[in-house]
Amino acid sequence: MTKPIIEVKNLAKSFGDNQVLKDITEQVNPGQVIVVIGPSGGGKSTFLRCLNLLEHPTSGEVDFAGENLTTLDDKRVNELREQMGMVFQGFNLFPNMTVLENIKLAPMKVKHVDDAAATKQAHELLKQVNLDDHADAFPTSLSGGQAQRVAIARALAMDPQVMLFDEPTSALDPEMVGEVLNVMQELAKQGMTMVVVTHEMGFAKSVADRVWFMADGYVQENNTPDEFFSNPQTDRAKDFLSKILM
Amino acid sequence: MKKRLVLFLALMLTLVMGVSTLTTTTASAASDNSLAKVQKKGTLVMGTSPDYPPYEFQATVHGKTKIVGMDVAVGQKIAKDLGVKLVVKSMSFDSLLVALQTGKVDMVISGMNPTPARRKNVSFTHTYYQGGYSIVINKSDKGIYKDKDSFVGKTIGAQTGSTMYNESKKQTSGTTVKGMTSVSDLILALQSHKIQGVAMEKPSAQAYVANNKELAAIPSNFDLSASDTSAAAAFAKGSTSLVQAANKSVDQIKRQNLVNKTYLPAAGKYLKTNTVNTSMLHYWKAFLTGVEYTLIITVCSVFFGFILGVLLSLARMARGGVFKTALRWLATAYVEFIRGTPMMVQVMFVYFGLGLIVNLPALASGIIAISLNSGAYIAEYIRGGINSVDDGQTEAARSLGMSSGTTMRYVVLPQALKNIWPSLGNEFITLIKDSSIVSIIGVSELIFQSNIVRSDTYRGVAPIAVIMVIYFVLTFTASRLLNYFERKMQHD
Repeated sequence: MTKPIIEVKNLAKSFGDNQVLKDITEQVNPGQVIVVIGPSGGGKSTFLRCLNLLEHPTSGEVDFAGENLTTLDDKRVNELREQMGMVFQGFNLFPNMTVLENIKLAPMKVKHVDDAAATKQAHELLKQVNLDDHADAFPTSLSGGQAQRVAIARALAMDPQVMLFDEPTSALDPEMVGEVLNVMQELAKQGMTMVVVTHEMGFAKSVADRVWFMADGYVQENNTPDEFFSNPQTDRAKDFLSKILM
Repeated sequence: MKKRLVLFLALMLTLVMGVSTLTTTTASAASDNSLAKVQKKGTLVMGTSPDYPPYEFQATVHGKTKIVGMDVAVGQKIAKDLGVKLVVKSMSFDSLLVALQTGKVDMVISGMNPTPARRKNVSFTHTYYQGGYSIVINKSDKGIYKDKDSFVGKTIGAQTGSTMYNESKKQTSGTTVKGMTSVSDLILALQSHKIQGVAMEKPSAQAYVANNKELAAIPSNFDLSASDTSAAAAFAKGSTSLVQAANKSVDQIKRQNLVNKTYLPAAGKYLKTNTVNTSMLHYWKAFLTGVEYTLIITVCSVFFGFILGVLLSLARMARGGVFKTALRWLATAYVEFIRGTPMMVQVMFVYFGLGLIVNLPALASGIIAISLNSGAYIAEYIRGGINSVDDGQTEAARSLGMSSGTTMRYVVLPQALKNIWPSLGNEFITLIKDSSIVSIIGVSELIFQSNIVRSDTYRGVAPIAVIMVIYFVLTFTASRLLNYFERKMQHD
């Protein structure tokens, strides 16, 4: 049996009086694609952000490759974050840098890769997301779909073991969703471990190994996509599915 | 809120206590090795306010501007007799005694009367010159005014801090006495009929009348004791050995009547050569020096102010343990304090106050004071700029494994800088203008140079017009340049 790469134990997170995550214990194995779905406000994004400590859990444990992130010092957390790429809903590209510079920045400043090597790697990643002809463009001149693909390339530049996607297509015009999902699907095929928060049920059905249904601060169901979509167990999930599959 | 107040009071108290201990230590330390000290360093630094011909004024000699006049000759005589070199430092008359007390200068000779009030704070030599007072008026008014008593319902002007100013107040009734820092300003006020007469020492009055056909001098008829009209050199209180040595020179000057026989005629010659060419073009070098210093001060201050501003803004945003909280309070207190006090006071505090600990030249003091001031403002701009950068930028950088420092340096600050570039540009342009404040401690920037040209040429308005144009050219060029860089930074 393979050792899980991410293990979450009794995770809880509150913002003031608002308890967003109540008690979550789950694990992600290497190579798995986990799709987290559920109603808005159910804590999906907060959960994802707890995985790389962008949010600090109120209690509980987040283990990455056997190390409990919540007990580590800043330096070690930074090192482990390198191994967890993250893609945001709003892309968060650095607007003052070209596409190429966006991708090169972290490898050069964190891993101290030299300029030539970083440039070479950046071009390869851009080819992978079909954007090499936009290498010298500034982010503001890109469409949403292009910007999100650059963001994926930027995260991949650190050579991560896991990729976290926080609603990567929610801010996109409908006709651009496909190009981003294709890139993600390609990534899954290559064996990347992925945790994806999304509302794209088609993607969940065709790509996910497991679907986690999250609502009210708990993971209510953890199942294969086939089982989950054809035979949801909880009323909460049935209700959710009936609303979105109409 | 209450915490902040307590912190503030504590800060103020330390400041005040620090200064008062310093003052007492210097006072007692100035016991008597004064003569030996001056001889050891080989220079005698003389402070003077060079806008008072023929006592002291600026003249262009072989293309170079220098301070000349009978007081300088007296200073040279004293220095020569002591076997040291004379260094002349110019500053406003108000600042002279402070400069003496804080050790910025060794000696003050500036047509100064040894009044009892002044004697309390400094030691005077014997008098080297016995003068009297005249009142300068417009020639067209010659029939109207006879002496000090003719100015009922009118205004007499005098140099602020001078004996004439005090006596004019005391010995006239129904007359308004207006004080101004420089005699050239007073003459300008007289010619534009803001005031009707200017009280000044007789030799000065003669010099002004000789150089300006529209002026006339009338006797003042002030009732004065001999000490009120005499001039003496001042030294730091208690420097007896130095005063005694200087007295030997002064006595000799008196005995041989050197002032009337040699010094005054020599000064008169400078006055004549001085007024041959009063066109502003003739003084281009003086203005150029002014531009040079104004730019040096501005550029250095913005540079150091920016570094300080970055540090202060980061300190103000520090969150976490006791150390970071203390840092935040300290930075906040600093910013509030600096923004709540006038820059002029800060400049004087750095020059005279810090001067008690380290002897800083005026230019360095000016740059330090303005950098400290500008740092507080720039800190606020930068803080605003950093807050204006979207949190998503920080999150993206941190998710890539970048540390908070690297994130700040490569992701947040560059964007913040772009956002606040217009504000920083404004600060730069403001500083070009505000750097003029350091003229009070005698840094030869534009305002200071223009004052020199004014007292040199006896022309009040032309130099002001010239520096107005120069300031505009400087600020306009700066704003064009800043716009150019702003456009270059635009990617969105």
